Amino acid sequence: MGKFERVRNVLIGILTIVVSLVMLLLEPEISFLIAAIILSFSLLGMGIRLLIYYFAMARHMVGGKIQLYVGLIVLDFGIFTMTLTDVPHLYLILYLLGTHAFGGVIDILRALEAKRNGSSWKLKTSQGAVNLIVAILCLFSLGSTRLLVVLYCLGLFYSAFVRIISAFRKTAIVYIQ
Amino acid sequence: MQTDFHYYATYCAAFLAGYSHEDSLTICYSAQFVDWCSRTYLSRLKAPLSAATTQLQLELMDAGTDPVGLQDITRIWASFHFLPRDLYAPKEKCSKRYRNKFRMICGPNSDLAARTVELAKGKSLQAAGVAMHVIADTWAHQYFAGTPSLVINNTNQHFYEILPEGDRKIQFRHSASLPDDLEKSIYTCSLFQSSENSIMNLGHGRAGHLPDYSFIRYRYLPAWGDYEEIVKDNPKEYYNAFCQLIYAMQYLRGERPAFETGQYAWETAAPHEAKIRNILETRQLDSCADWAAFAKSLSGQDVPDFDQNQYAQEYIQADKAAKDDTFLGKFILAALAQKSMVTNQIFRSGSLLAGFSVDFAEKGFKGIRDFQRLVKQAERGQDHGEI
Repeated sequence: MGKFERVRNVLIGILTIVVSLVMLLLEPEISFLIAAIILSFSLLGMGIRLLIYYFAMARHMVGGKIQLYVGLIVLDFGIFTMTLTDVPHLYLILYLLGTHAFGGVIDILRALEAKRNGSSWKLKTSQGAVNLIVAILCLFSLGSTRLLVVLYCLGLFYSAFVRIISAFRKTAIVYIQ
Repeated sequence: MQTDFHYYATYCAAFLAGYSHEDSLTICYSAQFVDWCSRTYLSRLKAPLSAATTQLQLELMDAGTDPVGLQDITRIWASFHFLPRDLYAPKEKCSKRYRNKFRMICGPNSDLAARTVELAKGKSLQAAGVAMHVIADTWAHQYFAGTPSLVINNTNQHFYEILPEGDRKIQFRHSASLPDDLEKSIYTCSLFQSSENSIMNLGHGRAGHLPDYSFIRYRYLPAWGDYEEIVKDNPKEYYNAFCQLIYAMQYLRGERPAFETGQYAWETAAPHEAKIRNILETRQLDSCADWAAFAKSLSGQDVPDFDQNQYAQEYIQADKAAKDDTFLGKFILAALAQKSMVTNQIFRSGSLLAGFSVDFAEKGFKGIRDFQRLVKQAERGQDHGEI
């Protein structure tokens, strides 16, 4: 991880904490709407970046089409999330929880892969497990929107702290000279 | 390539080219030292950090992948380990960004290879050693680029070792602590990272140590190759490298009028060809012992083990004015000159991958202070009528 990436991770972590605090202070429905908008914009940005990378670079690469597919899927998710701002809030909540749980599962799978490769895996596993637990707890608390927001924000807090801690960690690298 | 070729084989090539035992030792030590001269090492010596010819894993870990960080990485790896084959290689219907990376792909017998050897002409034995490292690596590291790039340096699962009994699929793992398993063709490589500029995508990391083993023959699909398979015959390439080193050093000694690419000292190596090919083809992770025995059979002298600290005290204890005349001082000058030349050529080709280069002859000294040593060296050369 380079210095730029470390600074970027710290800033994203701080921003996530600020957004979580704001969400805790606002009406629960508005809070989820804000989360959906932020998520959709970040997915849109990532999707567009991947598509530009594919057309400028990866289309010449063996197996480069994967970058195109990933870009399209991420972009599609971004657009889909944007449309969800119009639907009833329950669906929005379920969708957000779904993406949260999905992120948790991905973290755990990546941690397991890191473990197989002899890299550090514990922090990633705990991050994934907490995300997954928060999503499941939210699922069983759909009756109380306020409680949902609190649980969701706790998940965001945890992710933000892990991101900040990660920025200060030395990461193991296998480099073949 | 590893110590076996950069140190012992380079000694043999230097001796066959006509150098004495002592001079051959200086050349092969310098050639091997290119793989050790990191910023961390130079900072211990209080030597100019711009002379770094390699980066340690820890240094790479903290290396920035912002444009300036990438330029620093590229200057080191493209100048000393992955000399570009053709900085003006045609590549139609692609972005400039892709074309610039494509042109960084390493290969032998390039204009830059000729410039590298010519740069060492009339200079120190250390400069000859640096040049020999660069030339040898153009053979081992060809098809990979000395700049982080997923679209150039990535490989996929289509990787087969070519063996007399038939081809065998190569399995890659990412555990640095485990040695490569030659029996089962299990090799260590760097992790797949989908980020274009990840350090994991620098050089031949994704292909593991395969390019560094003289015995291996393999076929694979390089990321840049439009799905055309490349067959790499290392024993053949390494023999070419060995004969080109002899040829280059005969030129440096003044026994040949010019260094021409695609020329080799076949006739000098011919009496020893069977022995050399036997060393190159033996399936082993390290062939230092075989090369050391061959070296002794040539010169009748033992080649001592490489010791990276052998000349450190001499440099540290030398007066400031006399540092450039020490063993490591001469090495540092040679490294700065090589880095300066390659960066300039990449910059002239219209690519900023290695950063900016300011031509001293046209614009005076505008740049990193460490390179003032080169100006002083040139002035000293003029005073002595060398240039």
